[in-house]
Amino acid sequence: MEYRIEARRDRLIVSISGVITFDDHEAFRQIVSEIAGSDPSMVELSLAGTKMIDSAGIGMLLLAKDKADKSGKALILSGVTGHVAKVVELSKIDQLIKIV
Amino acid sequence: MPGDVDANQIGQTADNALILIVDDLRSSRSMIASILNAAGFPNHLFASDGVEALAILEREPVEMVILDIVMPNKDGFDVCREVRQRLRLNVPILIQTALQDADERASAFDAGASDVISKPIHPHEIASRVRLHLERRRMLDRLQRYQRRMDDELQAAEAMQISLLKSDEDVAAIASPRGADLWTFYKASNRLGGDLWQVFEIDETRFGLFMVDLSGHGVAAAINAFRVHMLTDALSRHRSRPARFLAAVNNYLCQMLPVEHFATAFYGVVDPSVGKMDYAIAGAPAPIVLQASGGWQALEGSGLILGCAPKTDYEAYEVDLERGDRVLCYSDGLYENFERPELSLEPADIARLACELLPVERGPGFLPALIERLFEGPDAQSQDDLTLLFLEVRGHG
Repeated sequence: MEYRIEARRDRLIVSISGVITFDDHEAFRQIVSEIAGSDPSMVELSLAGTKMIDSAGIGMLLLAKDKADKSGKALILSGVTGHVAKVVELSKIDQLIKIV
Repeated sequence: MPGDVDANQIGQTADNALILIVDDLRSSRSMIASILNAAGFPNHLFASDGVEALAILEREPVEMVILDIVMPNKDGFDVCREVRQRLRLNVPILIQTALQDADERASAFDAGASDVISKPIHPHEIASRVRLHLERRRMLDRLQRYQRRMDDELQAAEAMQISLLKSDEDVAAIASPRGADLWTFYKASNRLGGDLWQVFEIDETRFGLFMVDLSGHGVAAAINAFRVHMLTDALSRHRSRPARFLAAVNNYLCQMLPVEHFATAFYGVVDPSVGKMDYAIAGAPAPIVLQASGGWQALEGSGLILGCAPKTDYEAYEVDLERGDRVLCYSDGLYENFERPELSLEPADIARLACELLPVERGPGFLPALIERLFEGPDAQSQDDLTLLFLEVRGHG
């Protein structure tokens, strides 16, 4: 997994590429703390470049959503396609996290 | 001991490692001993040739050997080789040599030396190397001890986890009188896993099939699997109604699991006497029905993963199961390939393979054959925990 963070005036965009698995726990914790410490009230996790995500990866998205909620920010997922879309469809996490 | 005084003078505490000094010259032995004393290593044994050195190494817990090469009876190279090959000791051996030839030094390493130091001996060098090799050896010993202990603990935990699963006989004792055959497969990706399957007796005609996959792998997932196992015992009153059962499991998991942990599950209640299965799904892959007529369908239905949103309602579904129909339940470890995403499978791929296999392999041979085909060998080397349940409906009579 690799990620890039771009702070715009209205939102923080975190673009995640590659495969999100259990092994990316440390890196994802870093993302979560950046979200909590950022200024914009909107956070967009862009998964357009994400090839695959495992159950631990879904857990990290839930963690990011939880931290965003607790710091009074809205979190959305974008660019959900391919394997990620299938996992989202199966897990129904669109009931928990807004997907655009 | 005389060394203690010297050691204190240079501000170090003495290291009581037992060091064997092997040299045919008495003057060399005492010189090395006094250097080591001064450096804070006061605990020595002495040997004046190779034969004597090996005799000491066989009976004393020597932690470091300082070895001369040229000696009567048995030279340093032979001692080295015997220590490694015959005595099988990994004690560090420092060879001291006046020979400057690179080949000569290389053959010391080939014989099993840990390090080579040049004569004439430089006090600071020998003390530093002794310290370095002792530290290295002790660190390796500690790591090995730690690893052995972790291995033992994991092995015990693995046995505990496997003991949660019913034996083939217990499964048959539930399914068979109710008009079905059921085979199971479970393998953790790394000793402990987060998958769990259970089979419940419900009444005279019905039994429940429960499969759950806790997020993540390893110890944390396994602990959560133990919790779910206990939970399902406590929720036995809901076992006849799959949607209600998953809703109850969900409510408990919402309290139990940290925010980044969740579970996926399938629960089906099979009644071969009326040819029907009631079921509910929470984020799990939909089981595949392989019809007696030769066709297949993935079960319809879905539902939110467990452990995230309390009071979630799960939808109740049902499917007709004719005599000769088969149901394949599987965890995502069967079709997801994270090392080579392009090799991940679709339900249709699994169904097609299963349909191909069925004429050849049915009953107890089916799951092993399926795994062998998918993982190109009889031992599933899945990166994820893998669970499979395979049900054949016989019907009554």
